Amino acid sequence: MARVQLENVKKIYQGNVTAVHDFNLDIQDKEFVVFVGPSGCGKSTTLRMIAGLEDISEGTCKIDGEVVNDLQSKDRHISMVFQNYALYPHLTVFENMAFPLRLDKKIHYYPWTEEELRNIDNKIALLKQNETPKNKKKIAQLEQSKVDGRAVKGYSQDEIFQKVTEAAKVLGITQYLTRKPKALSGGQRQRVAIGRAMVKDCKVFLMDEPLSNLDAKLRNQMRSEIILLRKKINTTFVYVTHDQTEAMTLGDRIVVMRDGFIMQVGTPTQVFDMPDNLFVAQFIGAPMMNTFKTNLVNEGGKYHVEFFGAKIPVDGEKGEALKKKGIPSREILLGVRPEHINLSKDGGASSIPVTIEVNEMMGSEYHLHVRTEDETKIIVRIPTINLTQEERESMVNGNKVNLTFESKAMHFFDPISEINLLADGEPVASGK
Amino acid sequence: MQEKRSMSLSAKRRAGNIASYVVLILISIIWIIPFVFLVLQSFRCESQGLTGYVMPQQWGINNYAYLFGWDMVNNCASNCNFLQWYLNTFIIAVCVAVGQTIMQIMMAYALSRFRFRLRKPLMNLMLILGMFPGFLTMIVLYQVLHTLGLTGDNAVPGLIIVSIASSGMGYYVVKGFLDTMPKSLDEAAMVDGATRFQVFYKVILPLCKPIIIYTVLTAFMGPWGDFIFARTIALGSQTGMNVATGLYSWLSAANISTHFTYFCAGGVIVAIPVIVLFLFLQKYYVEGVTGGAVKG
Repeated sequence: MARVQLENVKKIYQGNVTAVHDFNLDIQDKEFVVFVGPSGCGKSTTLRMIAGLEDISEGTCKIDGEVVNDLQSKDRHISMVFQNYALYPHLTVFENMAFPLRLDKKIHYYPWTEEELRNIDNKIALLKQNETPKNKKKIAQLEQSKVDGRAVKGYSQDEIFQKVTEAAKVLGITQYLTRKPKALSGGQRQRVAIGRAMVKDCKVFLMDEPLSNLDAKLRNQMRSEIILLRKKINTTFVYVTHDQTEAMTLGDRIVVMRDGFIMQVGTPTQVFDMPDNLFVAQFIGAPMMNTFKTNLVNEGGKYHVEFFGAKIPVDGEKGEALKKKGIPSREILLGVRPEHINLSKDGGASSIPVTIEVNEMMGSEYHLHVRTEDETKIIVRIPTINLTQEERESMVNGNKVNLTFESKAMHFFDPISEINLLADGEPVASGK
Repeated sequence: MQEKRSMSLSAKRRAGNIASYVVLILISIIWIIPFVFLVLQSFRCESQGLTGYVMPQQWGINNYAYLFGWDMVNNCASNCNFLQWYLNTFIIAVCVAVGQTIMQIMMAYALSRFRFRLRKPLMNLMLILGMFPGFLTMIVLYQVLHTLGLTGDNAVPGLIIVSIASSGMGYYVVKGFLDTMPKSLDEAAMVDGATRFQVFYKVILPLCKPIIIYTVLTAFMGPWGDFIFARTIALGSQTGMNVATGLYSWLSAANISTHFTYFCAGGVIVAIPVIVLFLFLQKYYVEGVTGGAVKG
């Protein structure tokens, strides 16, 4: 259990290629932080710098307050799960999981038994009968050892067995302990990899896209298992993924990255509801947020957006926030998530007529790819549960429907800087 | 019509097969004749020189007994140095096999896993040096070894040192094998608490079994059949000669009429350890050990 602090961390590869720019993050003890972003955004590199598998070009990385820049991986008290499992093929599952324990030659302290304590007391009593300086020193050592406990280098066979079988029980792989990794399925291998990381007493648990190699069904299952596991292990987690669903479901905080820059750090709700910039808005959430170049109009403190000829009032919290910030009438990039667009039955003044181009039936919802009269493409998510049979039948390609937008779920971005007009403070980094 | 065409196709295929087999059988016969000839001659007892026929008229193991120190014709010790040569060769081959394997695997691991300045130029240099025939260095190496007193009667340690010293250059095959092993195995072991050396001998080395066996075999075969180098360094010394040099001395104009069948028997005995090694170890050539290390 430990706090991880990354201060102005940079990674510059040979040829002056900067993979991570000025990364600042304070990960609290027992926090679950997820680094998310597209391929090449520097998330894995950052994780590997924490792990000690990559050198830190500039800045400092602290684990539990100690600067670890120059410490080897083995001295950082970390555990790591790799994307490709990285199990040792020549060892059985048991030996794979026992591997870190067998390498650990540190001194561990165990409580004395009552009999052992009595023996120590007897020795002290004997030494006290003849208190020479040498004996005094011995007495002090024995007193200290009474407090510290029995010192043992490394782990005994019994302890290794106990720790491995306990972890195997938690992960449900007890019956595979004698098998070699090649006799296991992908999911089982990943469990072994997690088990190997679990048995070690670590301060930080690092996971580098651990679910990417699994099929979709298994991935969902393992995701929920990681949530349960996290409760059991109760340590600091740093998790890297490119999958925003994993990021949203697992993380206490999400770090969205792009091109080596942090785009936003926040809770899943913050990142989803109040994205700092267009990149975060479009990266989090599926299908991607729709964006439209339009005008935000301030009429005496009342805001509306002009939208395909319709005037959509911006009231409620969003309207208040705009007013508070005193944002004047201006050109904006309007962002609306597909799930915040509704079908309109009556086609009122603020509704927009569109033509369905592609309809994807997902089971619980429709994903409609529609086109407006001026050829703008919009994606809409319509839950099927509230649809009448007649409405379902109308969801065919080429059919015309009317859409309405929920103003409370609208996002306003600067068309040039792509920064959210309502975001608090300065953006972490523009990424441009 | 269709049936007719299919028949002609199968007839064509059969004719093609017959032609291929004929050629292959001919090549095989040409290839195998020397071996059969050598084995047959090694059992010939009626004379020890070259003859105009292949099948022995008198069969026996006299030639083998001679090599191992007993002259069955005269019923006395044979005064033959074959065992000394054989032992020399065996000592050289085993030492070189062990030394060369250790050097090559460590060299290959370093070049496969570490990134250091001049790594690529070093690899290129070794590649270029490796293109020169080994015997070009013979004269210089002879001078060096001669200065160290490792020629003539002391040729065995000299040959061992020379073979092991140059062994790092043959790292390519092992490096190719190590390059296919995922780096995340090393990284996982390091995170688990292993030092670089522990990673090497606890994780990488056990996975290298097939390539270790390959390296041992090739490293053993080099000095086992070495002739040019061994002959130069031994410089005619009976105690410093290896088996190839020794056997070849029996083919000189002075010896061939009295030692040819001994030469053949010696050839068979030289082949036996190699055959045994290959029979036992051939399966490791193809065994893939890394299965299950990564997704698959």
